[in-house]
Parts: sequence; C-alpha cells; structure tokens
Amino acid sequence: MNGQPRDTMLTDIVCPFCSLCCDDLSARQNGRHLEVTDNGCHHAARGFDTADGESQTGLYRASINGTSCTLDEAVAHAATLLGEARQPLFGGLGTDVAGARALLQLAGYCGAVVDHMNSSAMLRNLLVVQDSGWMTTTLTEVRNRADVLLMFGTGVERHAPRFYERIFNGAESLFSAQTMARKLIVIGATSTPPPLDAAINVTLLPCDTASLGDVAMGMRALLSGAPLQAERIAGIPCQQLQSCVERLRSARYGVIAWTAAELDFRHAELAVQAFCELARSLNETTRCAALPLGGNNADHTFSQVATWQTGYATRTSLAGAQPDYDPVRYDSARMLAYREADALLWVSAFDKLRVPPPAGVPTVVLGRPGMQPAKAVDVFIPVATPGLDHAGHVFRCDTVAVLPLRGLRRSALPAVAEVAGTLLNDLQSRPSRHAD
Amino acid sequence: MLIKLSAGTVYDPANGVNGEVRDLYIRDGRIVAAPGDDLTVNAEFDLKGKVIMAGAIDLHTHIGGGKVTVARTLLPEFARESRHRHSEAPDARGSHATPTSLATGYRYAEMGYTAGFEPAVLPVNARQAHMEMADTPILDTGGYAMLGNDDFLLRLLAENADQALINDYVGWTLHATQCLGIKVVNPGGINAFKFNARKLDVDEENPHYRITPRQIVNRLSRALYELGVPHPLHVHASNLGVPGNFRTTLETMGAADGLPMHLTHIQFHSYGTEGERGFSSAAAEIAEAINGNSNISADIGQIMFGQTVTISGDTMHQYANHRHAHPHKWVCTDMECEAGCGVVPFRYRDKNFVNAMQWAIGLEIFLMVDDPWRVFLTTDHPNGAPFTSYPHLMRLLMDRSFREEMLRRIHPEAAAHTRLSGLTREYSLYEMAIMTRAGPARILGLKDRGHLAPGACADIAVYEPGSDPETMFSRPSHVFKDGVMVVRNGAICATVAGGTHAVKPEYDRGIEKRLKAYFDRYHSMKLSSFCISDDEMADGIGSRVINTACAARSA
Repeated sequence: MNGQPRDTMLTDIVCPFCSLCCDDLSARQNGRHLEVTDNGCHHAARGFDTADGESQTGLYRASINGTSCTLDEAVAHAATLLGEARQPLFGGLGTDVAGARALLQLAGYCGAVVDHMNSSAMLRNLLVVQDSGWMTTTLTEVRNRADVLLMFGTGVERHAPRFYERIFNGAESLFSAQTMARKLIVIGATSTPPPLDAAINVTLLPCDTASLGDVAMGMRALLSGAPLQAERIAGIPCQQLQSCVERLRSARYGVIAWTAAELDFRHAELAVQAFCELARSLNETTRCAALPLGGNNADHTFSQVATWQTGYATRTSLAGAQPDYDPVRYDSARMLAYREADALLWVSAFDKLRVPPPAGVPTVVLGRPGMQPAKAVDVFIPVATPGLDHAGHVFRCDTVAVLPLRGLRRSALPAVAEVAGTLLNDLQSRPSRHAD
Repeated sequence: MLIKLSAGTVYDPANGVNGEVRDLYIRDGRIVAAPGDDLTVNAEFDLKGKVIMAGAIDLHTHIGGGKVTVARTLLPEFARESRHRHSEAPDARGSHATPTSLATGYRYAEMGYTAGFEPAVLPVNARQAHMEMADTPILDTGGYAMLGNDDFLLRLLAENADQALINDYVGWTLHATQCLGIKVVNPGGINAFKFNARKLDVDEENPHYRITPRQIVNRLSRALYELGVPHPLHVHASNLGVPGNFRTTLETMGAADGLPMHLTHIQFHSYGTEGERGFSSAAAEIAEAINGNSNISADIGQIMFGQTVTISGDTMHQYANHRHAHPHKWVCTDMECEAGCGVVPFRYRDKNFVNAMQWAIGLEIFLMVDDPWRVFLTTDHPNGAPFTSYPHLMRLLMDRSFREEMLRRIHPEAAAHTRLSGLTREYSLYEMAIMTRAGPARILGLKDRGHLAPGACADIAVYEPGSDPETMFSRPSHVFKDGVMVVRNGAICATVAGGTHAVKPEYDRGIEKRLKAYFDRYHSMKLSSFCISDDEMADGIGSRVINTACAARSA
C-alpha cells in the first residue's frame, strides 16, 4: 500500500465476540486499525479494538518463558512439551470451526482431555438436555412470533447486549397481528426495565438470581392447578406469578429465556430444567418454547464440532480407544488442582483477557495478541483473531445458524488451525515415545 | 497408475450386466476400457469367484446437520454403550444410532457404501450439514434442502405467485445451500404447528396462510421439473405414523399431477385402520399405486427391532409422539421461520403389535413393488433403524426362509395380520444392485456413479459370495473409492475425502432483491451471511463441490 492508509468503511461485518453473532456491524478501517461505527456493543468495541495490542508490539511476538523467539522455535518447544506429557489438557478452546477441528485432531493424537473455558455455564444447559431434553426456538422465530417473552434473570443485557434491540424490539414481524402487543416479563435481580419500545408491556418481578428455579417450579405448579401453601416465592407474591402463568397460557407463542452464564450457583441445571419444563408444559394447550441465550468465546462452536466428531460437547478425554465424557472428572480446574494433568494447552483466540489458569504444569498458550497471563508461560504463540484477521465460522447461540466470518485486514499471525496443524505434523514426525 | 480387477463376477444393472465374469480397469480414479497390451498394469487383484458391484448409494440417511448433533447431545449414553464389530478401525467413535461423523463414514464404507445423502437440510443450517458431511470420511455426500414450511414460500403461495417466481426461489435455495435436491416434510404442517395446529390433511388449509399441503407439493414438484433438477421432489408426506394415513399418501401422490415425485420412508405412511386394534397394513394399496404410476418412486424406511432415535423435521408429529420416547427425553425446536426439528429416542419391539406390523409393512412394500428401479433400500437412518442393519435387511429380502424364521418371532397377532408369509419373492443380486446402486444414481441424476462402465468413478465394492447375504454384504473383501482401496477384508485400510454433490439450476437473480428485503425486515441474519459459495465449500467447510447438470424444461 502506498502513502498514508486511508479510512475505508466496512459494512455487514459479522461479530464473533458474543454468540448473538450480529452480522450488521459497520466499521471504519485505517490500516490495521478498526473502529466499530454502527451496530456495535461493548463486546464488539472490545473485540474489534486493536489499539493496545499494537502499541505493545512485544505482545505480538512468540515467546518461550517470556523471552521472544520465532514462531518455529515456539512451535517446536510446544511440541516437545506436549509430546513429553502423559496427560495433556486442552483448555480455553476459544476458536472458530477450523480451529476446533484442528485442535480435536491434535487432542486425539496426544490423548488429551478437552474442556472449553465456558464448560461450567454450558453444562447448566447440557445436563438438562441429557436428562430430559427440551423444547426450544430460535432467534428468527422469536423475532416474528413471540407475543410473550418471559426472561429469567437479567444476564442477557450483559452477555448479548443487542438481544432486545434486534430480536424483540423489531418494528416489523411476519405476523404483526400476533406481535403488535408484545409483553415482556423479567423475573430476576432487577429494578430497571431493559431498553425497549414503548409499545412493549413490561412487568418486572424482582427476586434473587439463585431463586429463579424455585420461581419457575412454582409457576409450573400453578400452571398444573396445584394449590400452593406459600403466598410468596422468593419474595414474589404467588398472585403475580399466577397472572404470569395466565399470560403465557393465553399467549399464541410464548418464549421463556435465560442466560446460563448468569446462573452461577450450585445445581443451576435444576433451575434451567424448571424453565424448560414450564415451557414444555404450556404446549399441552398453546405454543411455548425455551430459548437459551448467552455464550462467548465460541463455546457453542467448540461444543458443536466436538459433538459431531467425538459424540460429546466438552469435558471429554481422547486418551482411550473411545472418547470418554465425564463432566466432573474432566473439569480442567479439578484436574489441575489434583495434578491429574501434566501439560496445559490453552487457546483463546478471541479474548486476550481469558488468560490460562495458574496451572503448575508446563503451559502452552495460543492467545490473542496482547494477552498477559498472570505469570510467564512456557510457550506463548500469538494467533490471529477469526473474523478480524482471517475468515472462519462460528455458531450462534441457538446453534441453528453458522455465521461466516470475513478476514477484515491482513495479518502475519497464524490462525489456531494452522498452529495446531503444525504441532500435529511436528509430533507425528517424532519417534513415538510409546513405541517401546 | 493402472489397476486391474481380474475375473470378478460383475453385477452392473445400469449397463445390463447380470453376473458376468469380467475384468475391470481403473486409472486416475475412474473406470477405463481395457487398455492395449503395451500398458503396464501397476496393481492387479484376482477377484475370481467374487461379486463386484458399484459402490452402494444411500439416498436417504440422516448423517449431517444440526438435528443429528442434537440427537448426539441428547443421547450421550448411546455413544458410551456402543461397541462396534470392527472396533479396530480408525476413529471407531460413537454409537450405532447416532455415530460420530467419522464413524459414519467408516461404517458405511465397511459395508461397501460410497455415497450417502442427507435428506433434511434446513437451509439456514446448510453450513453445519456440509461441515459434518465434510468430516464424514470416504463417502460422497449431498443434501436436500427443506422447503414447504418456510414462511417465505408460504407467503408466495398465499399471494398466488407465478410459478416462475416459485422456480426462482427454489433455484436460489439450491444455489445458496449447495444442495442436490429439495425435500418437503409434512407440507405446511410444521408451519401450522407454530400456529398451534396439531394435524393437517392434504386438502386442509394452513391456519394462517389458507393454503393446502396439496398446493405446496404441486408447486414444488413443478418447480423442480421446470428447473430441470434431476431428483424429483423428495416428499415426507403428511400424517406420518397416523393410522389410516395410506389415504393421505395416495392423495399426496395425486398432488404431483403426473410429475415425478419421490415418497420417502413410505413404510411410515402406509397404515390402515382395520382390525381390533385399528392399525393395519395398507402396503398392498400403496404398492399398487406405485406399480401403476411410473412418475412415483419411494424409499421404504424399514424398521428393525431395537433401540434407535427418530430425527425429523416434522415437529408436529414428533411432538405428538413424544410420550413414546424411550428413554424418556426428547427435543423439539422451531427453526428460523423455515421448519423445525424433533428428536425422539425410540425402541422398536418385536413383541409390540404396532412395531411388529411396521416391520412387516415395510417388507411387504419391498416385496410387492414390481420395479426395483423405483424402490430404494433405506431404514431412514436412524429413524427406522441404524444404517448398520442394512446387511440384515438385505438378507430379509433375499432369503425367504430367513424371513419366515424372523416372522415367527414377532407379535403373533401381527404375524397373523401380515401377508408376508404369502410373499415368495426373493430379491436377486441383480435387483439388489439396482435398488442400492444403479437406481439411486439414476434418480439423483449422478451419471458417473452407481455403475461400472468406462468413465464411471471407480467406486467399487467387492463381496465374497456365500449362502448368507447378511454376512456377504456386511464384509466386503475390497472397497475402492475413486480408485483408492479403502477397505480390505471388511476393515478400513485407507481413507480419502469424498465430495459434495450439488445442482445449480438457472434462475432469474431478480428474486434476490425480494429476498434481501425479506431478510432485512424479518430475519435475524443478512442475506449475505446466508449463501454458501463453492469457494467457501472448498476452503472453510472442507468439501469439494461436484455439480450435476440441470436442463430446464418448459412448463
């Protein structure tokens, strides 16, 4: 490029930084620098912001024990560490489809355990599907059909900031007779309504987040006509819950949503199950569907690829002849605490703030440039950011849609898939330590 | 590299070859004519006494896309409990009913299959379907995009749009989703379920759009015919599983107005209401209709006894059947104003009257349809049974005494109610080659698959004949994919990547303006995020596209 880089406007950008995967962003680009101008949110602003990484060029370099080195040296040392490990652990796993595919292949070769950084939140939903299934819907259905939305919790505003704007506020819908008088009920730790069109009728029922499951179970009892002894559940008068139930019962297409990441209390899966069973029960007479929201660092992406390739979403060991799934045993935090892993490969290509946990074992990081782990790791390999530096794919929160990411600028950094591929080639070219 | 397969007994119905001893030559992945004496044969396989057929093609098997992965997610115990016969094969991962993408490719190849087609690609989910199929080794794959419950099409039909506009939309969908055909599932019924309708007959109006399943089937059949797409409309008819639904199926055939139509898993649509239990076989009526209407083809969707999982876009009937879920858990999802997905695990029991009748009905249709070119061997994997049960099914069709023996094990009243024991037909190897190779290739428009003439892709299965077709078909001695030997003595010995079959009919791109407005106003993504290019298929998704030609036909 000749002379001063000029501003260019980019449109229809797909944002991979939360699992709402908005694809209507605009940005001003100047050389390697990018600034979101339209349809952003705080995740997009942070995700597409490249300023601080660029100002500290050292953080763009690969390093061994904190000392800069070439990419080849870093990969060779990483291969040695993984090759010497008896039980490697692959954590983080924030990457696109190609990265997930390559990491699973590498994990299969190394006999590693894989555990996405968001597994705890993911399992709150996953355990429910595995135990009882669920009846769900997807974003376009909600946008066009939902006349009553019951939101358990308030996490969506933090985790998927444009949800209401894009999916529930929409001025137009295919079935406007159904959606013109929309109602939103928020049950959770809130006293302020979310930003919504004035036409939408909002009911706020404040309660403690940890009590959301109790509230849902109470509503299900009310729906089935069971008499309740209590006058209040989690501080909410049962009379109000009864009127919420009636609203859902008279809805033509009710939706019950939540954000699993927010439900950070013990056995939150039971709360999720209560939300889902409430939604399912309503289908005896009308239509209602559950809508799990939230997710970031491509957690849905990793879990989908892992499921079709290994049969399991996360917390899976690829050490034996058959993949072995165990959400307790293969929890990376537990494995590291009990010294059940002897090497950690940590991948976070989207988010430099998601640093590896203090591991106490040799640690290799494939990280977004600018990542500053709490202590120097054995190998740090800066990787390109999908959707910014290279094309790729990510899954949306409803997992029905896979969004294509574009490369918006040139980058010298390798993608996760490339590094994982090189590591695999390197390991395969070494004499097998299992041979004797 | 020139490979010679010497002196095998060849069954190649597309070329009229019925059990003749021949030499075959392979070069650069294709079958070639016998070369002159001056050419050196690099590798020779002595196949004296062995049976040679083209690689088998499964034209209806749920092997890719979100709903398959929903089933895997719902049923981790399937994967945990499974033990495969050929567990020494690479990546022997996953279960029999919901195998992983890797195991799917290996298990199919180990039976001599070299292609499988995913029949229910939700357009918005086409990327995932193709990704999973790209991760399915060895097999060529392809998909049929689901239309007929999408609000875009139903709006067009409700405003009585010109057929030309419908054709453009169908053409655009095939391009955008990289699919080989179009499937309709419970026409208009999945959509009606979103408006809380629980059933929809062929001439019943959708509660919102006031159009009928008959209109949907008719318009889509016509669109495919006029666009020149080789595979006719792939129809999962209304009222799946409902006693008395054979009438619905006959009415659906009539909706084609003489145009080509493929009825899928027809066993599930061939039920009468006779008898004390109000459930009976209408296989005779259905077979008679197929025999009498040369525009109609069908695959069976045979059930086998045992545990499996049903996976369907038909949320209306999957919801209705959720009480039968075994184990008792299930998923139903409404999807993107396009269609839906219902996953209900199920155990078919031979001592259950209805299940035993279903088993018998499927076999009756197989045996009563005269023309093997218009009936295809499927279990609607995994809905009727996992695809790994195909060799057993082949034996049921080829060996009457075995069939009789199995018949004695089922619910006695069902055995008494079926005509099965009166059906003496035994399928020949030649007919089996038609039904599993030449026929599917022909109805999908794949000119260089499913046969063994020079120019064909060297997708070849070699079997050791014996008294027992189940053993024979479950363990080929050799399988070649594109000329590479991938199976030796029933086990994977090498792996290659298959391609993705697709069609790209001509259409008027003016429709994209209307689509863009629709996406901007109503969808949760942009039109630009929706369409999949050949480059994206090759680079990001990971499968090379093989386009089959379409020749537009006038109305």
